[in-house]
Amino acid sequence: MSERAAFWLVILVLATGTLLLRSLPIWLHGTVPTPRWLQRLLRHVPAAALTALVVPGSLYTRTDGAYAFAPARILAAAFALLVAWRTKNMAITLVAGMLALWAMQAAMALIA
Amino acid sequence: MSRTVHSMLVGARDVAAIVPGIIPFGLVAGAAVASAGFGLAEALGMSLLVNAGASQLAATSLFAEGASLVVVIGTALIVNARMFIYSTSLAPTISPLAGRLRPFLGHALIDQSYAATMTIGRNREDVDLVHYYIGSWLCLASVWQVTNVLGVLAGSFIPAEWALDFAVPLVFLAMLVPTLRHRVDIETSLVAAFAAAVLVPLLPLQTGLPAAILLGMAWGAAREEQTADREVAE
Repeated sequence: MSERAAFWLVILVLATGTLLLRSLPIWLHGTVPTPRWLQRLLRHVPAAALTALVVPGSLYTRTDGAYAFAPARILAAAFALLVAWRTKNMAITLVAGMLALWAMQAAMALIA
Repeated sequence: MSRTVHSMLVGARDVAAIVPGIIPFGLVAGAAVASAGFGLAEALGMSLLVNAGASQLAATSLFAEGASLVVVIGTALIVNARMFIYSTSLAPTISPLAGRLRPFLGHALIDQSYAATMTIGRNREDVDLVHYYIGSWLCLASVWQVTNVLGVLAGSFIPAEWALDFAVPLVFLAMLVPTLRHRVDIETSLVAAFAAAVLVPLLPLQTGLPAAILLGMAWGAAREEQTADREVAE
């Protein structure tokens, strides 16, 4: 399968799955109950999923499948965490984090 | 002006303040499609059909990193599991009003349309809620399409030295912080963080990512169970 075909497969399967996740409870409301253990597990999706998506890209750089610690990224991410916590604003967090990363990279280039 | 149009406009107006917040997110999502080696058709197809930013970004960047298709789709679907929670929570309010639209309303469910409908729209007496909800989504979804397209167009011209891939975790970080409201959320986040830091470099094909998410979820659910038991015992 070509890369493009594989990516379209991802789009279509993800679109179908997401549509079902979003639609079924509204659609079937009043006909099927959601088990409590599932509700309890699902409540923790945002914190767990978003964290797992933040951490690898904030700790490591990846070249050809090999992970290496990236101190500039760790410091920039810590700064961005502070900014996100204080502002609760995505645009400001994004700009602050990118500027911090570039500043760290420049500083480390100077030291090295 | 008909009540339908009025309701949609009020819904759109109530989310207008959030629009600046999703612009950078849409640009990053579009740019990620470009840096994965794809173009306008893929970016538009994804933003129209999937219509859920965090999962689009997660799927695109995992795909570009060479994760297996099962991991790409599985992780993105776990990210979207919160839609199921929103849908469950919105259903008692909106399903009885929805009529023939009921099977289709789910596609308009995004973080912001959910929040606006449940917090502001529900308390407005001059709107019908179904059209209010659709209006809030249409406002954000149109900005979402446009910024995805702009992102994919700009993304192909951005040099690698700018390390723009770092924008991806930053976007997720900005989404994460407001969800950490209780002690159990912070614990869940720390467990997922530690698991991701260890497992992602260790396990093949990015399978460490869904593993870390599931560990975090399990921790959160178990801790909650403990607290509930204690409350019953007291």
